[in-house]
Amino acid sequence: MLLANLYNKVLGFFRQTDKEQEESSKDTACNRLRVVLMQDRTNLTPELMERMRREMVDLLSKYVEMDKEALELNLEQDGDQVALMLSIPVIRAKDEDEIKAALEAEDKKSEEESDETSEETKEELEEKSSDDADFVNYDEEEIEDDIDKDDEE
Amino acid sequence: MSGRVIVITSGKGGVGKTTTNANIGTALARAGKKVVMIDTDLGLRNLDLLLGLENRIVYTIVDVVEERCKLKQALVKDKKNPNLCLLAAAQTRDKTAVTEEQLKEICEQLKKDFDFILIDCPAGIEQGFQNAVAGASEAIVVTTPEMSAVRDADRIIGLLEAKEEIKSYKLLLNRVRPNLIKTNDMMSVDDVVEILSADLIGIIPEDTGIITSTNKGEPIVNDEKSLAGKAYNNVARRIIGEDVPFLDLEEPQGVMAKMKKFFSGLIGKEKA
Repeated sequence: MLLANLYNKVLGFFRQTDKEQEESSKDTACNRLRVVLMQDRTNLTPELMERMRREMVDLLSKYVEMDKEALELNLEQDGDQVALMLSIPVIRAKDEDEIKAALEAEDKKSEEESDETSEETKEELEEKSSDDADFVNYDEEEIEDDIDKDDEE
Repeated sequence: MSGRVIVITSGKGGVGKTTTNANIGTALARAGKKVVMIDTDLGLRNLDLLLGLENRIVYTIVDVVEERCKLKQALVKDKKNPNLCLLAAAQTRDKTAVTEEQLKEICEQLKKDFDFILIDCPAGIEQGFQNAVAGASEAIVVTTPEMSAVRDADRIIGLLEAKEEIKSYKLLLNRVRPNLIKTNDMMSVDDVVEILSADLIGIIPEDTGIITSTNKGEPIVNDEKSLAGKAYNNVARRIIGEDVPFLDLEEPQGVMAKMKKFFSGLIGKEKA
């Protein structure tokens, strides 16, 4: 009797800790749904999100030193609004010189590029300004077009 | 008279659109409203079965559209409630037999004689859905607390929001199982409402009575004891504009359940 009691208590203890650690199936369902609905609503596939994340890392690295792998980029819903949530673990603030150097390198690079493609981009810009005026949400094709252009460069 | 046209839709099949339609329609008619239900699921009609009217259909919506009969001739009156009518779908034709314009026209005509026009929408988001939604100005989106049903409901809500004619839509959560929600094995009502961020019009518990009532061709709202029936009745009252609180599904209902709860309470105490 005593042994049985003890056995049950020990078992109960493990069961409890199991439950605390394991996510309930309904939480899993909710989380999976939230992610999939964001993708449905925005046309942003996981690959595109990853690409956006990497581009964010490149951009922000000019200003702060951060843990690149830990940068999180998520779409979240707050009531009716969808928001892009960016969480950046900053390791160290860069000092003035470092930022300047990074920005100068960037400017140089873009100057070179613009020399090469100045005529092309001018035409493109004119075309785009008339097209893009009313767009708020990018549709899939638009995103793909933009990415293709990036890749070409 | 100018009736309200409400489409009952879901995206996913098998979540209870037709059952919802039959029960809300019957409940509204029992509350003294003049109600007509239109089955737009051409080729896969079932609303007649749930109402027990399958043997009384002479003309269908396609006969009306193709002018083989007048609209009034095609309306089948319910056995018990003269306030309730059905305009059946054709079983032998497909979704192209009736157009959006034709459905709109039928709704306009029925608005003159009825308080409520309930449209039973086919599953999916293709032409059948577009047709069903065409004449409506309100929508009820039926879903269950399952991932696939919620995802499809989200799609439908997106499509409804893009339609100018749809002035408002409400969510009806069907087949809710309080026991599973208690053990965190099913999404709760709050979870679904939060994920879809839509207003609720009803919470219907899973009820085996639905199966027997379908067998008999007798909507469950006619059964005063049924919890699902009560929940559907409440939905109808909310549609009319009454402020009815949501049922507490947690509390065990029958005598057996109460005894079970009592005994499990005792056993629980002994262990402690």
